[in-house]
Amino acid sequence: MSMKQEKLHDISDDMFQPAKIDSSENELIARESTGFWKDAWRRLTKNPGAITGLIIIVAIIILAIFGPGMNEHSYSEQELTRAKLPARVPVLENIDFLGVNGVDIRGTNQYEAKGYEDEYFWFGTDEFGRDQWTRVWQGTRISLFIAAAAAFIDFAIGVAYGGISAYYGGRVDNILQRIIEVLIGIPNLILIILFILIFEPGIFSIILALSVTGWIGMSRIVRGQVLKLKTQEFVLASRTLGATSGRVIGKHLIPNVLGQIIITTMFTIPNAIFFEAFLSFIGLGLRPPEASLGSIINNGFKSLQIYPHLVLWPSIIISLIMIAFNLLGDGLRDAFDPKLRK
Amino acid sequence: MGRYIGGRIISMLITFLIIASLTFFLMKLLPGTPFNNQDKLTETQIVQLNDKYGLNDPVPVQYFNYMKNLLSGDLGVSFQQDGREVSTIIGERIGPSAYLGLQSLVVGTIIGLFLGIIAALKHNSFLDYGTMVIAVLGISIPNFVIAGLMQYWLGVKWQLLPVAYWDGFAYTIMPTIAIASIVVATIARFMRTEMLEVLGQDYITTAKAKGLSSTAVVIRHTIRNASIPIITIMGPLVVGLMTGTLVIEQIFVIPGLGEKFVNSILTNDFPIIMGTTLFFSLLFIIVILIVDIMYGIIDPRIRLAGGKS
Repeated sequence: MSMKQEKLHDISDDMFQPAKIDSSENELIARESTGFWKDAWRRLTKNPGAITGLIIIVAIIILAIFGPGMNEHSYSEQELTRAKLPARVPVLENIDFLGVNGVDIRGTNQYEAKGYEDEYFWFGTDEFGRDQWTRVWQGTRISLFIAAAAAFIDFAIGVAYGGISAYYGGRVDNILQRIIEVLIGIPNLILIILFILIFEPGIFSIILALSVTGWIGMSRIVRGQVLKLKTQEFVLASRTLGATSGRVIGKHLIPNVLGQIIITTMFTIPNAIFFEAFLSFIGLGLRPPEASLGSIINNGFKSLQIYPHLVLWPSIIISLIMIAFNLLGDGLRDAFDPKLRK
Repeated sequence: MGRYIGGRIISMLITFLIIASLTFFLMKLLPGTPFNNQDKLTETQIVQLNDKYGLNDPVPVQYFNYMKNLLSGDLGVSFQQDGREVSTIIGERIGPSAYLGLQSLVVGTIIGLFLGIIAALKHNSFLDYGTMVIAVLGISIPNFVIAGLMQYWLGVKWQLLPVAYWDGFAYTIMPTIAIASIVVATIARFMRTEMLEVLGQDYITTAKAKGLSSTAVVIRHTIRNASIPIITIMGPLVVGLMTGTLVIEQIFVIPGLGEKFVNSILTNDFPIIMGTTLFFSLLFIIVILIVDIMYGIIDPRIRLAGGKS
């Protein structure tokens, strides 16, 4: 106690300086402000699940682009003498438990038995001797393309439909929503199957069929958001200043709904991949030699008991894609949610 | 409430008629012939067959006949199975599908609720993270992949369960797991979120403050209030189940409606495709109606909003 008081006496007045009082500097923002997108990105990068998802997606996209060109085999090159070889990877083949040493489930090394000691098929070969690695990545490429195209169409139709319905309201909204009520009553899977039957099977008919009902979810979300936003003061202010409908929609409504749109798209993509795989799986998908992940899995199923490697690798990849998009979607939902902001 | 339900039933009937018409015209657009031995038939025989099934009439007449028969409950006869009634075939096939669907729904819901409740009560614990991992995997991994992996490991490699077919309870285990995985995942996730939200409410604090035991708080206040919104996701879940049975029946060779539907598509058996499509759609519409009505009973705000529009 006494020590402290002594110390206080040591501090003399001349050690102080008057503070500069300048009212114009009070409101100065010292640091760059964190905007909505920056804040969302910061929260996204703090979410380990979302980052894992993002890394897996980027890795799979890179492999889908460059994977088929990474060895000398093409996706349709057939050679029956080397059919159904198990997976064999250089170096890793010396580690037994990985199961990539070219030995099949009966314990014989098929590469030696069939005279292909010098060849390496990283995922093995299918029933026509086509390189499974090339086919799987080619299939991934097609699956991702179908999903991206379907997501884009859903986005375009859904945003326009939902936006118009909510923005104009009244009778327009009433009619558009009655149409949706009918469409939503139809199980979408059945509608997709019927459309696939009418079009010639192929990539574009699958994309079209997926888009027939796919946009409904997006349009409902956009409508809900726009309905909420359009009565808010900043929209009124903009209108008072003479903004046209196009400007209000483009400059004020869409940017505010964009977070929701991105989240919905993140869940549309795995959904499209699943439906495409599902259609190929029940025999309504692509025709050989074209392949998607679903049709490769379906093909492998015929010989699942003897050659499990034909199902295993494409199954792992499709599951990884689905998990990655779901993780990223969840992460984005949390990142864009202002309620969860810390 | 009566007016609300009445209005819903009318819009449901309109939806059904539109689906029936849509299915009919889509069928007319389909390429291919329904007669599997067309190559061996003579011209006259084809004409006779077309006459027999009314395929020579102009499309509007066919449409009128079809709708008339439909309203009296007649779905027509199969092209492939020598004139057997479509309704009889659906009747035969519905058993395994309904059994599988219900078993998956009940088992999946119970496990899902259990996992969701545990995860919320032990928030941020090992159990919580475990449940969330299960939920993400269950939602992400396609059911046919789960089915295939089980068939290989449980069926072929370890021989614990029969690989396929439909012959008693043991045969239902693998298909049920494959279909129920999405139910478990969805419900566990939803229940966990709801539980966490309810646990943060003031009335839970009040209940604790007035000296209620924590078991009573959890059972009487938390779980009860958290499980009400589960009804909202039941509609989409049942639809998911239908998709599930379609492919799972195919994989496990179960003589159900889904398997019949897929096969009738591959053999161009139009009456069966239309019959099963309408059956699935009707089921779907009824499920949505029941869910909406139940939700209206629980939450009066929905009822009022629905009555106005």
